[in-house]
Amino acid sequence: MTKPRPIDPTLVPPLVETPQRRFNLRRIKRRPNMKTALIALVVILAAGLLLPFAAPQNPYDLSTFSVMDNRLPPGERSLDGLTVWLGTDSQGRDMVSAILYGMRVSLLVGLAATSLALSIGVTVGLLAAMFGGRIDALLMRLVDFILGFPSILVALVLLAVIGRGVDKVIIAIVVVQWATYARIMRAAAMVERRKEYVEAAENLGYPSWRIMFRHLLPNSIGSVLVVATIYVAHAITLEATLSFLGVGVPVTQPSLGLLVASGFEFLMSGEYWISLFPGLALLVLIFSLNLVGDRLREALDSRRS
Amino acid sequence: MRTNFLHVLSFLTLPILLPVGASAATLTVGLASEPTSTDPHYHSFTPNNGLARSLYGALVTTDANQKTVPDLATAWSVEGDNVWTFNLRKGVKFSNGVPFTAKDVIFTFCRVRNNPQAISDYFGNPVTNFVKVETPDDHTVRITTKVPEPLLPERMAEMAILSAGIVKHGEIAFDLANGCGVTGEWPTLARFNSGEDAIGTGPFKLTKYTKGAGVELARNENYWGEKPAWEKVTLLPIPNAGPRLAGLLAGNYDLVENPAARDVKQLEGDPRFGVTIRPSNRVIFLQMDVSKDQSPSVVTQNGTNPFKDERVRRAISMAIDRDTIVKRIMDGAAAPASQFVPETMFGAQPNPEPLIYDPEGAKKLLAEAGYPNGFKVTFAATNDRYINDSQVAQAIAQYLSRVGIQADVDAMTASIFFTRRSKSEFVLSMGGWGSTTGGASSFLQQFVATLDKDRGVGRSNYGGWSDPAFDAVILKAIATVDETKRAELLREAGKLALQKLPDIPIHFESTIWAFRKGIQFEGRMDQYTLPALAKAVK
Repeated sequence: MTKPRPIDPTLVPPLVETPQRRFNLRRIKRRPNMKTALIALVVILAAGLLLPFAAPQNPYDLSTFSVMDNRLPPGERSLDGLTVWLGTDSQGRDMVSAILYGMRVSLLVGLAATSLALSIGVTVGLLAAMFGGRIDALLMRLVDFILGFPSILVALVLLAVIGRGVDKVIIAIVVVQWATYARIMRAAAMVERRKEYVEAAENLGYPSWRIMFRHLLPNSIGSVLVVATIYVAHAITLEATLSFLGVGVPVTQPSLGLLVASGFEFLMSGEYWISLFPGLALLVLIFSLNLVGDRLREALDSRRS
Repeated sequence: MRTNFLHVLSFLTLPILLPVGASAATLTVGLASEPTSTDPHYHSFTPNNGLARSLYGALVTTDANQKTVPDLATAWSVEGDNVWTFNLRKGVKFSNGVPFTAKDVIFTFCRVRNNPQAISDYFGNPVTNFVKVETPDDHTVRITTKVPEPLLPERMAEMAILSAGIVKHGEIAFDLANGCGVTGEWPTLARFNSGEDAIGTGPFKLTKYTKGAGVELARNENYWGEKPAWEKVTLLPIPNAGPRLAGLLAGNYDLVENPAARDVKQLEGDPRFGVTIRPSNRVIFLQMDVSKDQSPSVVTQNGTNPFKDERVRRAISMAIDRDTIVKRIMDGAAAPASQFVPETMFGAQPNPEPLIYDPEGAKKLLAEAGYPNGFKVTFAATNDRYINDSQVAQAIAQYLSRVGIQADVDAMTASIFFTRRSKSEFVLSMGGWGSTTGGASSFLQQFVATLDKDRGVGRSNYGGWSDPAFDAVILKAIATVDETKRAELLREAGKLALQKLPDIPIHFESTIWAFRKGIQFEGRMDQYTLPALAKAVK
């Protein structure tokens, strides 16, 4: 963990009485590996946004590349005169473009799935904490049911039924992830639920939805948000795994996981670049997301301020 | 993804490991595609048919070049056009020790007609043509057919003989209306897969079948022929070519099917391994739905099904550069196809008009047909059945996109593909067909002829093609006993099919086998990987 730094006594407040929920950006900036992770993430996000300009080719438009150029090693020139810095895949796609587009898919899936799952999970958790009793029991048994199966299995079965595509993958990830948020949200909200201010609000006759979203939500969302940052990376990994297994995105629109999978069979022939570079890109993406999420947790963690 | 990286790492280090070699009497085979059942009459599917050759015998069998040779029948003859006599081999025992007699042949004929779980009527169909089957003695079977069936011996090569002992029965006789004397339950898929009913006269017997995890065989000590060198055989499904080859290099497998063609050079230079390459009779082709007026899988501006138009089908054929697919995707281990069977086969076109690559011409034809801006279609393909199938499908989609047809490749696992295809769910799909019987007639009668269950034709005509002129020729051809005349009729039928292109041939696969030192493996044209053919050598 972190090394204790020498403490300047003048900077230490005499007594901390209220929990600080201040987002401490300075602390994030001070860690060098943190800086790298942040930069990597910003670059990836920027590349994803500026994609049509950043990529030399649209790898999802089959007419922009040719099978005549397939499996070119890094640095070769394609028939159109494009230098393929990271080589081409088995269909003749420029790997640089394929990786950039694949990253965009990964980010899209990660962010969309997480925010959807978060909204559903938070609502369910709040409902369970607010009303307790049978509603709580029912919702939590449902959560137990979902959490009882390995997430990859649930997603596989689901995709086998509903078919493939980016939207379907997002749905599958939401289905396996919302339960975690619901469980954490419920625990946090239950604690708040018993506090006096909630009781006071109830006695004042406020409607339940108001108590749920105006009182319970802001005071218990912190821990869920921390989990969410880590789960973005988890969602991306899940998408890559599902695509690797061949049930995720369509083969003509490869994501990072699918690129790794399609390059797999060429490794034996020494054509390493089809698998290796998308794999590295995925590694960097997940690693920086996890690192940022980790530090974000420390920054948000009131007990350590 | 962490496990995947570990895979990749272990994978990179594999080639430097020395092959350890399995013990002498066991053979481990890496299959590209796994058998879906041990029931030999379930699905006419190359991995199943190959496994059936190991477990069961048939009256007749085919050699590596697909010539019919004796198996359970030592000789056969035909009187007139309709009466066939098979003389059965004496002293043959099933793997459980029960002697083989003519009763078992009759029981098998009845079973294929009482097989509701079968994927298609492929195995049961020849029997619909039987008027009577007599057994003058325990080792003679006499079959009388309704219409002449010149290919009867070849059809018999595909029909694995089961033991009548697997069911409760009274006096077995060929009497389909009364269940042939069978009193108990007919054998089911589950009973075959558990091994209970998988009793045959083949060189091996079944020890264990686990779907997805492989098949274990043991030498059949009751086998009548030359016993194989292997006491135990394990057939493992390894759908991915890279790991399959890595397994061979690492010494985990003794023999593998279809390593990637690009890796063959590396193997050929290595004294520790051997390679066999054989052209096969398998054609990879596109099948289109030409009967539905509309389908959710195809989106056009005027809402019609473009594949009904002959010009569109011709345009698709012209849009595809077969030579490049063979060179760049198949790495040369294939041959561009301009017809549905290789030229060397019986009844093939000797000099078919080449299906040329002409994207400009294709665009013109599409515009003429009323699709100047092309259309959008879902293109179904397998991803674990044929050599490089998903890659080939993507390359075809690439070529189609160049002429304006947006083809979304939906590559799926074989079992899902075949089930959906048999329900005619696809409007454009890529399939493969190995013509094991009857030369050119096999593909034409299964895929091009109008469906007629009684005649046993058109069973794979999922696109609903129907051309009376073609039907007349092919039906005449398959009932003609005279070989010269039959070949002529087949050539005519083939020409008609190529004119209208209800199916579009792409290429013929070549099959590759790689094996460790100490094994000699002769390949087969029908692509079966038969462990009994793996010879142990010094």
